[in-house]
Amino acid sequence: MTSVPIAADTAVPNPSLLARAVGFFSGPVGLAIKLVLLAALNALAFWAVGVLLADEKWIAALAVGGATLLIDLVYLVPDRRLIPLKFLVPGTVFLVSFVVIPIVSNANIALTNWSTGHNLSKDEAIVAIEEVSLVAPADGTTYTATPATKDGELVLLLVDEGSGELYVGSEDGLESLTSGTATVEGGTIVAAEGYDIVQGEDLAGIDTALRGIVIPTGEDTFVRAEGLTLAIELQPTLEYDEVTDTFTNIETGVVYTDNGEGSYESASGEMLEPGWRTYVGFENFATILTDPLVRDPFIRVFAWTFAYAALSVFIQFVLGLFLAIVLNKPDLRLQRIQRAFLVLPFAVPAFLAVLVWQGLLNDEFGIINETLGTSIPWLFDPTWAKVSCILVNVWIGFPYWFLVCTAALQAVPEELTEAARVDGAGPLQVFRRVTLPLLLVVTAPLLIASFAFNFNLFNNIYFLTGGGPYGVEQTVAGSTDILISYTYKLAFSAGQGAQYALAAAVSIFIFFIVAGISAISFWRTKSLETVR
Amino acid sequence: MLSTRRLRVVAGLAVTAIAAVVAVSSGSSATNATTLVIWTDADRVPAVTQVANAWAAPKGVTVQIVQKNFGDIRSQLNTVAVETAPDVIVGAHDWIGELSANGSILPLSPSAATKKQFPTYALNSFSYGLAVKKLFGAPVALENIALVTNTALAKVPTSFADMEKQALAAKKKTKAQVGIAVQQGSGGDAYHMYPFFSGLGGYIFGTNAVGNLDPSNIGVANAKFLKNAPLIDKWNKEALIRSQVAWDTGRDLFTKGKVAYYITGPWFLSDIQKSGVKYAISGFPQIVPGIKSVPFLGVQGFMVTKFSAPHGVESLAKDLVANYMMQPSAQLALASANGRFPANLKAAAQVKDKDLKAFGKASVGGVPMPNIPQMASVWGDLGAAWVRSTKGAGAIPARRSFIGAQKSIAQKIG
Repeated sequence: MTSVPIAADTAVPNPSLLARAVGFFSGPVGLAIKLVLLAALNALAFWAVGVLLADEKWIAALAVGGATLLIDLVYLVPDRRLIPLKFLVPGTVFLVSFVVIPIVSNANIALTNWSTGHNLSKDEAIVAIEEVSLVAPADGTTYTATPATKDGELVLLLVDEGSGELYVGSEDGLESLTSGTATVEGGTIVAAEGYDIVQGEDLAGIDTALRGIVIPTGEDTFVRAEGLTLAIELQPTLEYDEVTDTFTNIETGVVYTDNGEGSYESASGEMLEPGWRTYVGFENFATILTDPLVRDPFIRVFAWTFAYAALSVFIQFVLGLFLAIVLNKPDLRLQRIQRAFLVLPFAVPAFLAVLVWQGLLNDEFGIINETLGTSIPWLFDPTWAKVSCILVNVWIGFPYWFLVCTAALQAVPEELTEAARVDGAGPLQVFRRVTLPLLLVVTAPLLIASFAFNFNLFNNIYFLTGGGPYGVEQTVAGSTDILISYTYKLAFSAGQGAQYALAAAVSIFIFFIVAGISAISFWRTKSLETVR
Repeated sequence: MLSTRRLRVVAGLAVTAIAAVVAVSSGSSATNATTLVIWTDADRVPAVTQVANAWAAPKGVTVQIVQKNFGDIRSQLNTVAVETAPDVIVGAHDWIGELSANGSILPLSPSAATKKQFPTYALNSFSYGLAVKKLFGAPVALENIALVTNTALAKVPTSFADMEKQALAAKKKTKAQVGIAVQQGSGGDAYHMYPFFSGLGGYIFGTNAVGNLDPSNIGVANAKFLKNAPLIDKWNKEALIRSQVAWDTGRDLFTKGKVAYYITGPWFLSDIQKSGVKYAISGFPQIVPGIKSVPFLGVQGFMVTKFSAPHGVESLAKDLVANYMMQPSAQLALASANGRFPANLKAAAQVKDKDLKAFGKASVGGVPMPNIPQMASVWGDLGAAWVRSTKGAGAIPARRSFIGAQKSIAQKIG
């Protein structure tokens, strides 16, 4: 069994094909195509570097620029030694952009405190804290405001809503406006001598200048425009000190200092909102290992995830294989139609199928209990819910294994099974000793891949049970939550909003779990190959 | 030979460089017009387009309306790039805590005259702040659930005992599985069970001295509620309610005339009307003496994002949201876009639709869904507690179930 004759012709690439491809891209047409593709790439890179430089992301800009230049040189410099690189570069680019960068950025997020309340940069957070701390003073005034210009400078024409007095507001302060010189209509100034009212299409362009008008009215009080028609007097309740990097409550004197975790915190532990995004080292990983909220359900969830993925794949495979063998009889009537019908579940979008199943499995209203005359709590009992999850997953996944096994069965040489039969083996023995081992050689890697896929199959759990039902003692993770849906809940429904960084840290754990299981399995299946 | 090779390299680099420069320069020649970007859900696109353009046209501002899934607006605002970010978004009042804690939205100051046109709770629901409470959105539309009665099967109840009796009688008559259709499903639905929860004395967060919601005061298993909780076990036993009723089964039970009572919101109004079932909309009867049974209130409205400042349209956006959109005419247009009750009292007075008015009446005394970020920890547990106790056979006594939920919520909030 060293070589299967048919495979020999197609499996080994035609050596002249390679040479012809290289030759083609050295000719004029090939060169033109090459230049167009490279030009497109360079244009894209040029634009990207520009954006990155504008955002002051120096390293990224250097990396993009350098990589693009290298790619140009590899494809343009005619040197024989570069030919292998020409084949390696595209694969490397895809590897970097779709595998390395996501993993690195995920790990990068896991080291931060990115979560609700920690979404800004520190500078943005300081501005936002100052803004939120503004209050209207007890005797504060509100004004109707009309933006106007005098000698090209933007000012605000104000009417005190309480007293009806008129003012001109600018950086220099409030200045009374003689009532005779201005026309007031509906509480706002519509015309004033010596001032050009900004109106109509001119309003679109004054935003930045308008927000720049801060009219001092007292020691720390000021009036500023809110929108286009209103101005209010405001007063800060917190004061920022750049030198010490602290906020001080003006009234109570409480000092808030940078706590190193992306928030200003007072001595009593009170924090200012918003905080900012910063690196917190391995804190999220420590949380996973030490926080009982995360740790306690972990083993339970992990065990169920493993059982769910393993049982789903095993039953899918057995069912798919069984049906493939049954329908593999050459003289079967309507073989094609039967096969087509079996593949149907594969054609239905999985999450739609899951939602339909959710309806079918309803224990009071569902058609399944109605048909069977039972009252099984399919989705409301922790154990039955697990059965339902696997059942639905098998229904969705078996057509895949049916297809794979049907194809693989064609590749098992007739001579071998016949030889075994001649030697006196029964049909079961032939299957067990010849067909199955040969089949497993082909399908084992797919089984492992399918296991890893099911391990992280978020949709089926999320749409069928939502991770429930929840026992009285269960927190965060319900009875059918798998690791990935549990991560989702940790990130979005446990605590004070969304915790992206913690979720990123958990997903790194999951990555190592899945990678570990897959590595062990691949290593174990090497022994299968000795069958050949 | 060597020279042609060199020539090729040089020519190649030259061609690609020119292409690059052309591409970049054509990209940077963008127009300088003032554009205001608004993110809205599909239902509201026509109304927002009409209202925003009426405001924008005289000011020389171009409005760009971007259609999003309602829920996506909240999550995408956290991660969007400044260049493509919105200046104004539509949203629900209970996003305010999260968005403001993130610094994603700006406080608003409508005029006193404008504020007077809104009920206090609508403005409160859009206000948030640890020390200083500020308004972060312009309320536009109110929504809440109400009690819908199939008037061919039963009368609008005068008391809870009356409702229970009529519901069970109708259930017997139609051989339905439940007496009252309350949408739940295996995952639970705290929003739809809230009238029962509040009517038995439950609350979610208490308030502190300043009047802010206090996440350390959780009332999911408070003493008053626990005393009344065995009623839930009774309802479960007599199949007055069952959590097997999902959103679609609940609707079908009512529209096919199987149940006398249905607890739902204005979103299923058109289905009910199409079904031909004769109905009446009312508030919830009191379950226990001295405690009102009220729904959660949802307020939808518009907010100004932090991106409006770097975009140079902050004043414009604030004028649109805190001034123009809060006026009666804009309110009426925006609220009726998806069949909701307008938040503005003057606009509300103009509502003619009797069903909408009835939903508005049922909202009286309702509790706005808590808008603090800690609420994320509550929904799942509260829904799950109800499901555990109302799933028919094998149900867990409500007292135990809600004590478990309280513990879980407290642990998550930390």
